[in-house]
Amino acid sequence: MINSVRNTVLAILNKNNYGYISPSDFNLFAKQAQLDIFDEYFITYNNQINKENGRVSGTGYADAKKGTEEVIDYFSETSALTQSSNNVYFLPSEITTGYDYYLINKVLCYSGGLLKGEAEKVTHSKITMLNNSLLTKPSQTYPAYTQEAGLLTVYPETFNGVSDVKAQYIRYPKDPKWTYITISNGDPIFNQSLSDYQDFELPIEDENNLVARILQYAGISIREGDAYAFGKNIEQQENQES
Amino acid sequence: MAYLSQYQYYENGGTAPTNQNWGSYQYVSLEDIVNNFQLMYAGNHSLINNEERYKILFHAKRAIQELNYDAFKEIKALQLTVFDNLTFVLPSDYVNWVRISLYKDGWIRPLNENIQLNSAKAYLQGAGGTLTFDVDGNVITTASELDTDRINGNQKSIYLNKNNSDEQTSVNSDANWYAEYSIGARYGLNTETANANPTFRIDKKAGVINFDSTMLNESCILEYISDGMEGGNDSLITVNKLFEQYIYAAIKYELLNSKFNVQEYIISRARKDKSALLRNAKIRLSNIHPGKLLMNLRGDNKWIK
Repeated sequence: MINSVRNTVLAILNKNNYGYISPSDFNLFAKQAQLDIFDEYFITYNNQINKENGRVSGTGYADAKKGTEEVIDYFSETSALTQSSNNVYFLPSEITTGYDYYLINKVLCYSGGLLKGEAEKVTHSKITMLNNSLLTKPSQTYPAYTQEAGLLTVYPETFNGVSDVKAQYIRYPKDPKWTYITISNGDPIFNQSLSDYQDFELPIEDENNLVARILQYAGISIREGDAYAFGKNIEQQENQES
Repeated sequence: MAYLSQYQYYENGGTAPTNQNWGSYQYVSLEDIVNNFQLMYAGNHSLINNEERYKILFHAKRAIQELNYDAFKEIKALQLTVFDNLTFVLPSDYVNWVRISLYKDGWIRPLNENIQLNSAKAYLQGAGGTLTFDVDGNVITTASELDTDRINGNQKSIYLNKNNSDEQTSVNSDANWYAEYSIGARYGLNTETANANPTFRIDKKAGVINFDSTMLNESCILEYISDGMEGGNDSLITVNKLFEQYIYAAIKYELLNSKFNVQEYIISRARKDKSALLRNAKIRLSNIHPGKLLMNLRGDNKWIK
């Protein structure tokens, strides 16, 4: 999809003689555009739930929430968390689990390889009281966790093994990269066989949206207001349709 | 509880203790209750939304505690021998007592709670009634005369057991015998104290049952209720299936009732739901069988002489 998006963006820019964006600029704008759209999926998801609760949403093919869920689930990962010390574990990151996380959806606690329970996220303002509570103190069956500076602390402290904690989280999309080979007398030629090639991870339906957003970034970059306005216009039309 | 094969049920899959699963089908675990509640009653399209799990857990446990206090008929019993100090330490999961009995000669003899005091704290007093204090400024305590007399068997009793005040104890003084008599006239038996068995009082703060001296070396059975919290082990907490729906309703009501901006009619509906389910469950658990009634009614034509 990335080549198609780039060709469309360049076609629009060239047709109107707005200018040209280099592959490296395109890759930067593509990353930014993808993150924008990715972020919007969560807002859309919430809006769709509100619509369902307002009884203005249907089922079957009219179930818009399902489609959004599918897109978000594409970015779902489940990984064991790397232990920092005792009951403290590193949050998912490129170094520990291979991906930075957008949000942690579920933390599972194991003991001796057996699943004991799903840990509940508790705020720092509550965890002390919770630990002192007779009835609701975190237990093996009902563990809890807090987050602090890239670390996740699990309660009770008996969860302290190397592989005691797993997380299901939503990762960020991989940075798109339009890769190419340079020929001596012309434009760069798209080559997706290079090792650092990375396509967009959003569904094909988002192609229009990606083009619109990249055009906006490109318009600002080349100081061409019309290009920005054109992109903005497409984006607004997309939003109205959804 | 999970569904078990017959082998697992009867013999615990060959693992000791083999009786672990007997009767387990009557119960649903706390884990199941919280899990089911989160699945079925909480979520984006439910009345309960965005509530922390620990709140659900709290209200589930509180509902189970309340059921244990009166609705359940799950009475625990502990039998111990009362030794020289004439005390029976309350069990670790004790909440309230149902009945305390003396077990003797094959008979269970229910005991009465003494209406009089039988234990007290005492401060160590010096000459003129002065109190003595330790280095921390706390008054020094000592065994009270009341306790000492009770343990030594010298405390008089208004009950019909040992050292009854109506006993005419004779005292020899100056070569004459004198007898103790109750002051004032007596008109029949005081039924409140007309019991010859040992008596007791429960010192709740001290966590002991204090008996009179007639209980020395006797076997005592304490029937009591607990709160069903199984010593804080969440994985062992269970509730009778007849009350499962009530627990869901109770959690739902408590959450809605404490939530801001919930319409009163919704809270009211939840409250009625909860009350009705509790009533239904109590009726179900009461086990009123025609056969039992028949046994009782068979005596209705007996002549009262």
